[in-house]
Amino acid sequence: MARDKIYLEEIFPSPFMQLWQIFRKTPVAMLGFSCFIFLITLAIFGPILAPYSPIEGQLDMLLLPPAWHLDGNVSHLLGTDELGRDMLSRLMYGTSLTFGLSFIVVIISLVIGVLIGSISALTSGLKSSILNHSLDVILSIPSLLLAIIIVAILGPGISNTVWAVVMVLIPQFIHITRYAVKEESRKDYVLASRLDGASPFRVLHYSIFPNIVDRIMSQATLAQSAAILDIATLGFLGLGAQIPLPEWGATLANGLDLFYIAPWTVYLPGLAILFAVVATNLVGEGIRHALKLRKER
Amino acid sequence: MNNIRLVFIFFLSLISLLGCNDESIVSLSEHSVIYCAEGSPETFNPQLITSGTTIDATSNQLYDRLITYQGKENTLTPAIAKSWHITHDGKNITFYLRKDVPFHHTDYFTPSRFLNADDVIFSFNRILNIEHPFHLVSGGSYPFFQNINLGELVEKIEKINNYTIRFHLSHADSSFLANLATDFSVILSAEYADQLTKKNSKANIDTHPIGTGPFKLKEYRVGSFIRFYRHEQYWREPAKIEQLVFDITPSNTGRLTKLLAKECDVTAYPIAHRKIEQHNSLTLEAVTALNVGYLGFNVKKPPFDNKLVRQAISYAINKKVLLEMVYQGKAELANSILPNTSWAFDDSIPEQEYNPILAKNLLEVAGLSQGFTMDLWAMPVQRPYNPNAITMAKLIQADLNAIGIEVNIVSYEWSTFLNRLKLGEHQSFLLGWSADNPDPDNFFSPMLSCSATHTGSNTTFWCNQAYDDIIQQALQTTNTSLRKKYYAQAMNILAQELPLIPIAHSKRYQARDNRVVGNILAAFGGISFYHVTKSTSLKKNIKTKTDNSGNSTNIGNN
Amino acid sequence: MLIFTLRRLNLFIFTMLALTLLSFSLSFLFPGDSIINISGAINATPSQLIEIQKAYQTDDNIFWQYIAYLKHIIQGELGISMASQSEISTEILNLLPATIELSLVALFIAMFFGIPLGFIAAIKHNKPADNIILSVSMVGYSIPVFWLGLLAILIFSINLGWLPSAGQISLLFEIKLITGIQFIDILLSDSPYKWQAFSDATLHIILPACVIAVAPATIFIRLARTSMIEVLGTNYIRAASAKGLTFQQIIFRHAIRNSLIKIIRHVGLQFANLVTIAMVTEVIFSWPGIGRWLIESIYQRDYTAIQSGLLVLSCFIFIVHILTDFIYAALNPLARGSKYGS
Repeated sequence: MARDKIYLEEIFPSPFMQLWQIFRKTPVAMLGFSCFIFLITLAIFGPILAPYSPIEGQLDMLLLPPAWHLDGNVSHLLGTDELGRDMLSRLMYGTSLTFGLSFIVVIISLVIGVLIGSISALTSGLKSSILNHSLDVILSIPSLLLAIIIVAILGPGISNTVWAVVMVLIPQFIHITRYAVKEESRKDYVLASRLDGASPFRVLHYSIFPNIVDRIMSQATLAQSAAILDIATLGFLGLGAQIPLPEWGATLANGLDLFYIAPWTVYLPGLAILFAVVATNLVGEGIRHALKLRKER
Repeated sequence: MNNIRLVFIFFLSLISLLGCNDESIVSLSEHSVIYCAEGSPETFNPQLITSGTTIDATSNQLYDRLITYQGKENTLTPAIAKSWHITHDGKNITFYLRKDVPFHHTDYFTPSRFLNADDVIFSFNRILNIEHPFHLVSGGSYPFFQNINLGELVEKIEKINNYTIRFHLSHADSSFLANLATDFSVILSAEYADQLTKKNSKANIDTHPIGTGPFKLKEYRVGSFIRFYRHEQYWREPAKIEQLVFDITPSNTGRLTKLLAKECDVTAYPIAHRKIEQHNSLTLEAVTALNVGYLGFNVKKPPFDNKLVRQAISYAINKKVLLEMVYQGKAELANSILPNTSWAFDDSIPEQEYNPILAKNLLEVAGLSQGFTMDLWAMPVQRPYNPNAITMAKLIQADLNAIGIEVNIVSYEWSTFLNRLKLGEHQSFLLGWSADNPDPDNFFSPMLSCSATHTGSNTTFWCNQAYDDIIQQALQTTNTSLRKKYYAQAMNILAQELPLIPIAHSKRYQARDNRVVGNILAAFGGISFYHVTKSTSLKKNIKTKTDNSGNSTNIGNN
Repeated sequence: MLIFTLRRLNLFIFTMLALTLLSFSLSFLFPGDSIINISGAINATPSQLIEIQKAYQTDDNIFWQYIAYLKHIIQGELGISMASQSEISTEILNLLPATIELSLVALFIAMFFGIPLGFIAAIKHNKPADNIILSVSMVGYSIPVFWLGLLAILIFSINLGWLPSAGQISLLFEIKLITGIQFIDILLSDSPYKWQAFSDATLHIILPACVIAVAPATIFIRLARTSMIEVLGTNYIRAASAKGLTFQQIIFRHAIRNSLIKIIRHVGLQFANLVTIAMVTEVIFSWPGIGRWLIESIYQRDYTAIQSGLLVLSCFIFIVHILTDFIYAALNPLARGSKYGS
C-alpha cells in the first residue's frame, strides 16, 4: 500500500551530506580528493597494473635512468635500480605498502579509538581521571617516537610497524571522540532524546555519531598523513619494511647508496611520499574548511 | 624592532668571523688527516680479534711487530727485531731486539724504559699461557692464534738476555715467521701491564692501548671518532702528519658525501666509483686483496664426482660477464685459488677459456649429453670476495642452461647455509675465502686439504693424497723458491681436478683527496698512515690534476 | 598558582611512575634474561651476576624488584650498554646535550621564521600572500624530513659547497667534552683555534637545524595565523582602532603580544615533535646526539640502551612540557584554572 505524503517534507541532508556539498565546491580540496582516490585505486590494483616484478630485476637493464633522460628507455618509464628492477613497478607496489597500509592502519585505529573514546565519554570519576592522565602522557610523546619505541619492543619488520602505528594512533582517536562526544552530550537535542528514555548507546548511535563523524574524519586525515610519514620513516631507518619489500621509505633507503650515480632512485620515492601526504592533507584541509563554513552558516 | 636589528648585527659579525680565519686553519689541516672509517673497532688490541675494521684502526697505527713485510714481494723484514736466526731443524728461532724502541707517552701512561725482551715475552705469553694473569682479561679468546694452533706449535719462549729471545717450536713450520709478521702479533708493554695490575684495572690494557707504533691514542668517542697523535719519539722517523682522526661513518653514502664535501681526506670502501672518477681532485685506488670467490662442487655427489662434468661446467661459465655484472668490473679474474699478488703465484697456469662447445663435447664424453638438473647454493650475504652471490647464481644459471643443464638456485639464512654446507647437503655452491696472512699455505690447507674435509672448512669434500703431500712438503721447507715450485704443482693438480672453479679476486678500494700523498693500502692486513703526507699548496694540486688527466683513474697495485 | 603547581606536580609524579614502570616492564618484554636486559652485563662472571641479582633484588616479588630498579635510577645507574659495555648514564649525558643544542637552534629558527610569516598571513587574510604562505606551509608540513635532509646535503654541501654535511664540528679541532653543548665547550676550551672552531661549529649546525625547523615552522605559521586572526577580531582591538591608533601601532603594541601568549603554550608540544624530527635528522647528518644513538641501539638489539634511552628521552620531553606549562601559566593567569596538561 502506497503511503501518501501527509506533510510537505523538506529535504534535510545529514550533517555529513552538508559537509560534502561544501567540500565539493572547493576545487583544491577536490583535486586532493581525486588524488586520494587515485592512490587508493593504485594501492588496490597496483600489483595487477605494474608492468614488472618489484623484486626480480633484469640483469641487462641496470641503473637505467628515467625515460625522459637521454640514456633512458621507454620500456622502463621511471628507470631501474642497481638490480635492474623497474622503479615504476616498485613504486606501484609501494603504494599498497605505504599508502594502502597506512589507510588500513587508520581504519583499524579509528574503529578501536572511537569505541574506547565513546565508552569512556559515558563514564566518569576515577576511571575517567586515570584515562585522562594516561592519555595526556601518551599524547605528549610524538607519534614517531612512540612508534620507534614500540618497534624497538616488537623488533623491526613491516607487520610490527603496522601494529606500532595503530597503537600510536588509537589514543588520538580516543581523545578526539571523547572530547566531541562530551561536547555534543551537553547540547539540548541529546538531552531531549535522553528524556525520551533512549539508552546511552541509542543516544550515542542515533544522535551523537552523525554529528561528530565529520570531526573524526578530519582527525582521520591527520592520522593518515602521520601514518604515511611514520611508516616511510621507519622503513627508511631500516626498522620497518625489510629488503626487498618496495615500501617507499625502504626503497629510498635502498637508493641511498646510489644517490650520486642514480639520483632518481632517491628522488622518486621521496616524491611519491610527498605526493601522498600532500593529497591527504589537501583532503583534510578541505574537510576542515567545510566544517568551518558549515558552522558559520 | 631593536631586537631584530641586534640579531641581524650578531649574524653579520658571525659571518665576518667566518671570513677571516682561513690561514690558521690551513696550518692545522696541513698536519692532520681525517680518515672516514666504516665502523668502530671492537677493541684496541688486535690480538683479540680477526675483524678488518679493528685491524685498520689499531695494528699499524698503534703497534709494531717483531718482523714485518715489505715491498711488492712481501718479503720479511726486521722491525722491532733487528735480526733473527733459525736453527737448521727449523725448531729454534732467535730474535735479536732493537734497543731504542720507546713506548707511547700518553695521558694515562709514562714509560720509564725502552722496549725489551720482557715486553715481547709478555705479549706472546698472554696468548699462549692459559694461566697468564692477563690471559682471561677481555674474554681469553685469541681467534687468529687459535686457528693456526700456535699454542701447540710453540713449546716455550726463552729470554736469553734483555734483548734476545728464543722461540722453541715443537716442529718446523715455514708459516711461523709469516704469522709473527701478521697484524695480529703486536707487542704490548709489560711495564704498563704491571702498572694496571697494581691499579686493579687490567681491562684497560685493551681499551687504553700503549704500543710502540707511529701514532698514539689521544681520544676515542665510541661510535663517533678516534683521535691519534703522532708518536714523537718513534724509533723510526716520526710520522709526517701530527694528527690522525678516524671519523667513524658506517653509512656508505655518508662516507662518500664527506669525501665529496672535503670533510674527510681518505675514505674506506667507497661506493659510486664513477662519481669519484669524475672529480679530478679525488683519486680512487685499489689493491687486489688476498681473497678468492669461487664456485665449488660437492665431489661426493653425482654427477660432480666425475671430473669431466666439473671441467665441462668450467668451460661453460663466462667469468668475464660475472666479473662485469657482479663485481662491476672491479675485480681480477681468478685462474687459480691464489691471487697474483701472492709471491707463490705462478703465471704458467693457463687462463680458463669460455668455450660452451667444448663443454658440450665433454658432457657427451661423460655420457650426459641429454643434460641434467643441479642445485646451486648461493650465499645470502655480501662478502668482500663476492658482493652478490644471488646475482652470480642467476648468471651462471643462464650460462649452464645453454649447454643443457638446468640449475635450481638455493639459498638459506647465512648460518644455516654454512652449517648445511658442512653437512654436505649441497651439490654445488658459491663461496669464497679471505686470507689472514700472505703465506700461500693460508689458501691451500684450509680450503682443500683432506684434514679440512673433517673440520668443515673444505666443503668440496675433495681429498687428494698427492695434493696433500705436496702442501705438507711445502710447509716443511723455508726455501721460498722450493715452496713456490711445490705450490705450482699443487695449483696444477687443482686446475686438472677442478674441485672448485675460482672466479674472482676482488679488490679493496679506497678513495682519497689528491692532497694526501703516500701509501695507505696493503694487499692484506690493515692500512697504515705512517707514510702519509699532506700538501696544501694549490700549485701542487693543479699539477696532480694534470698528472691524472691522461688516466682519469689511478688504479694500480701497491 | 599553588593549586596549579600541586596539580602539575601530581601529574609529573604520576607520569614518572608510569614511565619508569613501562621501562621496568620492558626488561621483561625484551627477549633474554630480564636481569641482563636491565643491567647490560652480558659478559658478567657468575659471581658478578649474583651480585647484580642481589642489587636488583630478583629474589623478592615484582614490587620490590621495581622499587630496587627505581633506586638504581634515582642514583643515576642505568646499567651498561650491551654493545659497547660502557656506562649508559655517561653516554646519555654526553649525547643528550648535543640533541638539545640542535633542537633549540632549530626551535629558534622555526619561531624566527614561522611566527612572523604567520602574522603576515593573518594580516593579509584571504589575500594572495596568505594563500602562498599557506600552500608553502602545507608542502613543508608534508615533506618527509629524511628526504629533505638528503636534498639539502646534495644542494648545499655537494653542489654549492657552502655548508658541511655531517657532524657537529670538523674533527680537526680538539674540543674537550665538558657540558656536551658544543658552543659552550668551545668557549670553555683553551684551544688556540677557539674562534675558528666556533665559526666551524656554526657552519655545521645551520643545515641540520634548518631541515629540522621546516616542519615546526609550518606549524608555527598556522598557530600564529589563527591566533592573530582571533586577536584581530576581538573587541579591544576594535576599541583601539576606534581610538584612532594606526594599524601599525595596533599590531605592534597590542595584537602581537596577545597572540604570542597563545603560541607559547604550543612551544612545549612542538619541542617534543622537534626532538623526534631531530632523531631522524641526526642519522642523516651524523649528528652525535641521542637519537642516532638510540636508533643504532635498536639495530644492535642493545636492550639496556634502548630501555634507558627511551626512559631518559621521554622524561626529558615531559619535563619540557611541564616547564612550558609553567611559563604559560606565569604569563597568562587565565590558564591556571585549566585542568589537564595538554
